[in-house]
Amino acid sequence: MMRLLRASAAVVSSRAVTPLVIGFFFLLYIGIAFFTDETLISLMAFTRRSVVLAALLALIPLNYACRIVRGAVKQRAVHRIFAGKSADYRSELFDETVELCVTPSFRTLEMRLISEGYKTRRSEATLAAWRGIGIFPARMLYLAATFCLFAGILVSITTRTSHRQMVIEGEPLPMADGSGGRVERIILANATGAILSRTLTMEVAPSNAGHGKRIFGLYPPSLYGGAFVYPRYLGLALLLHFYAPDMPAGYEKRCILNCYPPGKEASEVIPGSPYRIVFSIPEPAAGSDRYLSYMAENRVLRFKLLKGNDVLFTGSAPGGGEFAQDGYRLAFPEIRRLVVTDYIGDYGVLFIWAAALFFAAAVFIWLPIRAFWPRREMLFMSAGDVTRACSRAEGGARRHAGVFHEALDLVAAGQKQPEEADKTLSL
Amino acid sequence: MVAVKFIPQILAWIGIVLVLLRGFPGRRSLVTAASIAGFTLGVAGTVILFRSFSGTTPFGVIKSALGVNFLVLWGFAVTVLYRSSGQGMTNWWEKFFGSSLCAGGGALLAGVMAGAVSACRFPGADATAVALLLLVLVAGVLALEALAVENMLPASLTVTPAGLLSIVVSLLLLSASSLLRLDLFSPLSMKVMKGIHDFVHQFMESILVPDHLFVRSVVWKYIGFLFGKEVGFWGGIIIWFTPALLITLAVGSQRLPSVAHIRQGAQRRKLLSDALRSRRLQMVMPLCSLAVFAAAAYQSSFPSVEYWDPKPVAVTANQSGEIFIPKQGEIDLLDGKLHKYLFKQGGREVRFFVLQNPAGQLTVDLDACAICKPDGYGQAEGSVICYYCKTLIPLETVGKPGGCNPVPVHFTEKADGVAIDSVTLINSWDTTVKVTARGKEGGK
Repeated sequence: MMRLLRASAAVVSSRAVTPLVIGFFFLLYIGIAFFTDETLISLMAFTRRSVVLAALLALIPLNYACRIVRGAVKQRAVHRIFAGKSADYRSELFDETVELCVTPSFRTLEMRLISEGYKTRRSEATLAAWRGIGIFPARMLYLAATFCLFAGILVSITTRTSHRQMVIEGEPLPMADGSGGRVERIILANATGAILSRTLTMEVAPSNAGHGKRIFGLYPPSLYGGAFVYPRYLGLALLLHFYAPDMPAGYEKRCILNCYPPGKEASEVIPGSPYRIVFSIPEPAAGSDRYLSYMAENRVLRFKLLKGNDVLFTGSAPGGGEFAQDGYRLAFPEIRRLVVTDYIGDYGVLFIWAAALFFAAAVFIWLPIRAFWPRREMLFMSAGDVTRACSRAEGGARRHAGVFHEALDLVAAGQKQPEEADKTLSL
Repeated sequence: MVAVKFIPQILAWIGIVLVLLRGFPGRRSLVTAASIAGFTLGVAGTVILFRSFSGTTPFGVIKSALGVNFLVLWGFAVTVLYRSSGQGMTNWWEKFFGSSLCAGGGALLAGVMAGAVSACRFPGADATAVALLLLVLVAGVLALEALAVENMLPASLTVTPAGLLSIVVSLLLLSASSLLRLDLFSPLSMKVMKGIHDFVHQFMESILVPDHLFVRSVVWKYIGFLFGKEVGFWGGIIIWFTPALLITLAVGSQRLPSVAHIRQGAQRRKLLSDALRSRRLQMVMPLCSLAVFAAAAYQSSFPSVEYWDPKPVAVTANQSGEIFIPKQGEIDLLDGKLHKYLFKQGGREVRFFVLQNPAGQLTVDLDACAICKPDGYGQAEGSVICYYCKTLIPLETVGKPGGCNPVPVHFTEKADGVAIDSVTLINSWDTTVKVTARGKEGGK
């Protein structure tokens, strides 16, 4: 049973797992591409629906989790050997291992290695030498980042929910259970940041359900009731009064107009009649902000009244105003700001953000260390007539190998007839 | 003249045989015989395919086989890189590569592919039995010539199995890139562009990045760059060259032999020097394959084919918004050629064309599809080509919606011409083409 468990652990933590799984999904992607242009979306949908595909994708974070554990165990073993706390030598911990049938004095060798810039630790039977800084922290960060990335993708694909809602100034924040507080203000303002040109703030009053006062911005989006509040587009909520010669009683309707940027048309049908009104925001004067009308309090709506396919007339009226012609009358008593908002239930986003941070930290640590101070280590252990020498390098391997070989020559020269013994290579 | 058209196929064939002979040095006769037999089989199989299926199916089969070859190369490249990093794996495949089965089978398969691609060079009626026989004969003679030439190559120039596969596949793709219907690079670029577009879009949605109205235009331009044709091209280039690069990298990062057990410095240095020299020579073939891949990509990007692409004629709509194009006049709509028109209204511009298909029906289509940037179409023999993604669309299917086909426009055929509603035309352009042009280069 233990053997089976060990074999399973070895397979799951193998470096081949991730390329194989990615390769499989890549082939699946190519296969799907033969049948549809929406290849990526189809692949995501398949993965969401299929337990087998989801399990296969889950192998990647599992693989990285195992590799984190395995890497930590290996690092601890090497650290203990070099600290003289363990003699649990294993060839797979090193790049190169040689056994010589000699019993050298390590003192000369130590001097030699110090002159080469190595730090040393010597005891009666061992000599450890090293220089540079290990990339172990960067490697752990990289593994953790990749774990988070694929765990995030997995969680996101399999559990993500999205509900589009209209957040309207002056009305309660739309929540499934009606627990949202009242949206007090929606503020669009120009920003001076490097990335964002505008900021959007939605101020929500405390709700009866116990939510305190909240202010929602653009990025990072805030969590509210277990979902991210993700503002998408701007629009207007219009209270429309419409009168026509053949509709003297008139008609009142609350319209949601997805009419930004200016020029974009939003159409409203008057139910039970041949009338249709197409609204748009007039293009602002050249040089002024396209979203000025959204930021300002006085908004003007342009409209086109159609009866069937015939345009009866076009016109415009401000919020609170009205327009009358040929017995028709359109009044806009109330125009409020609106934000088309997605409620995203997806904790995978948190993993992906964490992955981005870990990747950045890993590169920040790895790059200077790998370029200027790569870790190089060698270890000499004497037991009886045999001296075992081990070496590993995380960079500058050729130069380090040269020093190691010279050190071995020095060890061998300390004896009358150095005899080559066993040679093993760690792969 | 026909022989000139075969130059890419002939060069590729000589190269393939030469590399196979060098890759399997102990089995020269077997490799020569198997490759010639494979070539013959490939030619015969292609003829059978063309006689069994009509339309583009035979090309599709051979193109798919080439795609599988490229995918196999990718898998192989990743595997050798993995092995070069010192991961323990069994050596069963090294034994397999040294076997007669591998030498014979590999040469046969390479021959089949080379023969199939070469046979596709004969356009329709030119594929007479005599011509095909002559093709096989020439291939046989060239293979025997290659056998003699291979003897003259320096013995130190060795080929690893990965290097062998890399150069053979690159030569096959070079051979295929001179035939528009077999070319893989342009469709690959197109798919990459779509893939990157979808990926970036999904990624931004995933991490809840605000929409472009909130983001600085300069930042959005950088993001928009990821949706452009150049990204498709460069992404395609990366995928195209990566297998050969990975193989080169794998050879270059092969571990040097351990010399720690040798106590003479000179001997150590000699051993390492020999190993380094051998490693450099093994990199020659993968590096050569990079050059061949580059030639194939160039051939694909700048095909030596001229298209019928008339300058669009400006048209206007009458007061009721109808655009009328007469069948006869300065332009004959019934001549089977593509005729382009330009309609402008209120700062908007729509390019469209009228074409009589081989079935004798007129069709009106936008000079753009619903997927690509609207670079337009040109007409070649039996097909129109999308200039953006180089997809060939058979004339029979022009007028049908979907994929990279030109977007069909509703029209009324009258006795003396065709009538198109200008509003329908503009709406059609706005709803389909403008979307694809957004964030790209604004069209032609």
